[in-house]
Amino acid sequence: MRLRILLADDHEIVRRGLRSLLEKHEGWEVCGEASDGREAVEKALQLKPDVVIVDIGMPLLNGLDTTRQLLQHDPQFKVIVLTITDSDQVIREALDAGARGFVLKSDAARDLVSAVEALQNKRMFFTPRVNDLVLAGFLEKGHAITRNEAPKLPTLTAREREITQLLAEGNSSKEVASLLNLSTKTVETHRSNIMRKLSFHSIRDLVVYAIKNNLIQIEVPPQPPKTPAGPTAV
Amino acid sequence: MTIRILLVDDHPIVRQGLKTLLEGRAGWEVIGEAADGAEAVEKARDLSPDVMVLDVTMPKMNGLEACRLLRRQVPQLEILFVTQHDSPQMMREALDAGARGYVVKSNAARDLLAAVEAVSQHRVFTALNGREVAGLH
Repeated sequence: MRLRILLADDHEIVRRGLRSLLEKHEGWEVCGEASDGREAVEKALQLKPDVVIVDIGMPLLNGLDTTRQLLQHDPQFKVIVLTITDSDQVIREALDAGARGFVLKSDAARDLVSAVEALQNKRMFFTPRVNDLVLAGFLEKGHAITRNEAPKLPTLTAREREITQLLAEGNSSKEVASLLNLSTKTVETHRSNIMRKLSFHSIRDLVVYAIKNNLIQIEVPPQPPKTPAGPTAV
Repeated sequence: MTIRILLVDDHPIVRQGLKTLLEGRAGWEVIGEAADGAEAVEKARDLSPDVMVLDVTMPKMNGLEACRLLRRQVPQLEILFVTQHDSPQMMREALDAGARGYVVKSNAARDLLAAVEAVSQHRVFTALNGREVAGLH
């Protein structure tokens, strides 16, 4: 029986690379693709893949919240999270969210097949850094991470987190309302609650919060050279 | 038309995706890959590609630095940036560094083939999100 895999990443080029890698494996099939978290949840519920591979940094709904939503719908979903960073916080959140696999994007060509194989054999797959955290006692009783434990992120509800991400991505309240099938007034109320809970005064505070808490990811451009700039070619 | 292409990106999965797209065109061949700017310069000197598809943010040497070096050392090479940075400022820096093309990774599947074709013919090709595509002679 073929192993069916759903791919979720906002870059089609990355999905092509992942598909090319995975479909070389006999018996594996990419049954669908999604370019954002909301589409990923929709397609997973429709296609019922054996494994779902989600990028952490997707628009509309990030990979961790996608994972949470999938597992709320059906705890049997097996999710591998792809991420550009393996910081302690991201690892904790991926484990909290219920991911069964955690792979660095830079190492995906090396590790992803092993990760999918592990999940196929009902095992988990994490990067060596996660194992280090386990050995360092990170998962001692006092700090046990379970799927049901409240995430380390503060007091925001799941809906508030969704709205925080969409606002931080630059959507207006009206646009957020349209995306989530809510009224603008409801979104505005959520927005006020979020700002109050987190003691924020501006959208900039919200954006910084979203970046720090991996609700959105940004790539830092390289530093410009210290030599004087030459004439503009364009 | 034969185009020999060198792919440069620090993520093997991205290189694989780009390769799959490019090699769908008859006569186009990915002759090599590199994972950082320093390796890109070395391989460009060794392999003499027609076009280099180059990322900006990479370890050891970033794409902008590599591009400036290559402009001096391999002047016949045409460089196309394929990058996450959807920024007019970054695009200007890239063109200043000597690139002929600049496309955003999120639209690479849409823009890459036209961009490679344009730069291989020494035409400028730039495309940012939400802004018009320019294929200038």
